Amino acid sequence: MKILVTGAGGFLGANVVERLLAHGHTDVRCFLRERSKAERLEQLAQLYPAAHLEICCGNLRSKSDCDRAVRDVSLIFHLAAGLKGSAAELFADSVLVSRTLLDALKRRENISMRHTRVVLISSFGVYGVVRLGRGALVDEQTPLELHPELRDTYSHSKLRQEQLFWEYQQKDGFELVVLRPGVIYGPGGGAFSNRVGLKVGPLFFHLGGSNLLPLSYVVNCAEAIVVAGTHSDAAGQVYNVHDNELPTAAQYLRAYKANVERIRSLRLPYFVTRMLASSLEAYHRRSQGQLPAIITRYKAAAAWGGNTFTNAKLRALGWQQLIPTPAAMATTFQYLRGQGKK
Amino acid sequence: MGLKIAIVGCGKIADAHVEEIRKIPSVQLVAVCDLEPIMAEQLASRYAVPHWYSDVGGMLEAEKPQVLHITTPPESHLPLTAQAVAAGCHVFLEKPVALRHHDSQAIIQTVVTAQKKLAVNYWPNFEAPALELRRLYQTGVLGTPVHLESFYGYNLAGEYGTALKRDPNHWVLRMPGKLFQNVLDHVLNKITPFLDDDEPLIQAIAYCGDDAQDRSPSGQLLDELRVTLRGRQTSAYATFSSHARPVGHTLRVYGTNNTAHVDFASRSLVLERKQTFPSALGRLIPPFLVARDHLRQGLRNANRFRHARFHYFDGMRQLLGEFYLSIERDTPPPIAYSEILRVSAMMEKIFEQVYPEVFA
Repeated sequence: MKILVTGAGGFLGANVVERLLAHGHTDVRCFLRERSKAERLEQLAQLYPAAHLEICCGNLRSKSDCDRAVRDVSLIFHLAAGLKGSAAELFADSVLVSRTLLDALKRRENISMRHTRVVLISSFGVYGVVRLGRGALVDEQTPLELHPELRDTYSHSKLRQEQLFWEYQQKDGFELVVLRPGVIYGPGGGAFSNRVGLKVGPLFFHLGGSNLLPLSYVVNCAEAIVVAGTHSDAAGQVYNVHDNELPTAAQYLRAYKANVERIRSLRLPYFVTRMLASSLEAYHRRSQGQLPAIITRYKAAAAWGGNTFTNAKLRALGWQQLIPTPAAMATTFQYLRGQGKK
Repeated sequence: MGLKIAIVGCGKIADAHVEEIRKIPSVQLVAVCDLEPIMAEQLASRYAVPHWYSDVGGMLEAEKPQVLHITTPPESHLPLTAQAVAAGCHVFLEKPVALRHHDSQAIIQTVVTAQKKLAVNYWPNFEAPALELRRLYQTGVLGTPVHLESFYGYNLAGEYGTALKRDPNHWVLRMPGKLFQNVLDHVLNKITPFLDDDEPLIQAIAYCGDDAQDRSPSGQLLDELRVTLRGRQTSAYATFSSHARPVGHTLRVYGTNNTAHVDFASRSLVLERKQTFPSALGRLIPPFLVARDHLRQGLRNANRFRHARFHYFDGMRQLLGEFYLSIERDTPPPIAYSEILRVSAMMEKIFEQVYPEVFA
């Protein structure tokens, strides 16, 4: 079985390829935008000489590149997505690209859609957590966001992307598995999720406080993607992805300060964050957007309202956390410390 | 209800159009359109625009807007303008006007024949310091312009630049004048109002300022441009730079009376006056006069900020306001068509030298 991994040159992508190889899959097409991002994949090819690792470069906005990407594959791990840039770019890189990819799958004559499985990497950002109470449990039954336009554009584009996949799945009948990771972290990733706080100039505003951080160490996340993506019972299912032992935002920040660097931080209680958001929002409205509404009450509630999480459904499928959270955090902080010294 | 506005083209710049249109209370944005339904849908969703379309003809027929903003890549500007004026719309066009000068001429001709109005998004020229510069020129404070220097910096590592580098098929790179064609309007349209010649002598050189670019998927991209222009009595020097830091955006007008320096990035205008102080005082006092000008500009900007008139695209709001007013009152549009065509013709001449294989 030939497998396609889009976004294979990215932070998560290379780890998914590694886990696929570790699980014994031997025919993997790695699709990535730039050849310069293929270094890790080339190392993997050497580590697994029995496997056929095909490195395929192109742009998924291009119909012909998509045709090339999906040729002869029956299992697709779709990780490519827009992570930054303008709203138009995020939608183009996440939603348009997905539609182009799905259309390319439909155009194939040698493999029917019904014999194709697509594994979509979505996001926790698609959940409508604002309506939930503080401390409410977020699981796969939690309703999706009804007002994505009030959230950050990334979450908005990821929600639209996921909706698009379900629309196509309904029409074309392929197997769809959706994974919604929380905060993916690890070597190669960033130091802080917004759930911990925001850096403004030299000061870090610690806004997450005692909220649980739905951390997913990149190796554990990749393992979850491969386990769910290849499990026969996973068709048509959604899985939340996070590690078993979750620190609070405060614990993460404390560990970061102890292991990476001393940073100046100011902890704001949630009610202060809400008041600040309310003022910023009012000014943004009154000034017709002279300063961006970085924080609004809605965004604050989504990011720092405070929820609890469960990965029970994923564990029931057989996923196990490969790297324990303390070791994962230690490795991540070691990497971040090295980055700081550069 | 005032003018009904619609937008075709829902890429990145369309956000700025929506935001500035919404600041003008007398008009209403009724619909947006993009060939890609997803792009039209996302723009409408984020800004609560009542309707979105993927067919411009359908939108024009159903919504009957009086003004169509065209924010698509430039190769589509001529057919879309023709379609818009045929549907009874005035046109607000995103730069560059067209890929080739003859298309720019055809666009203007189409609008004039249909007795409609057109403006191009030369928004920096409608920011407060640019308007002040125009006043200084018209009231004779500057005297006759002798020389101009227009500088435009570009950040290839920024949002726009990164998008280009990541996508070798980006519409900007598909234009015959490539990166320069997307920004040269802003470099030249500041010069043309002061240049005393419709067909100045032009010499242009371009090169790539980054060796590492050779390894990028898009290959080598010319990203530094120098242009000298010689009119009858006025000369000019235009610079486009992707590597100079900070990323600047300035215009310097050397007049026979005084010299003005406009910094578009910090929205300031400083007048360097003819020297009248004797001896050493002539060297001592001028820096204080310049400092006084900077202080005044800072205070004016603070006042604009206080009154919520200090947005990034404030010049666009001003330009749109003037354009819509010209439609309502049937007065000439804010930018003379002759200016638009002069810029277009100058760009063509520059590209003939920079990309002779394409523009020959």
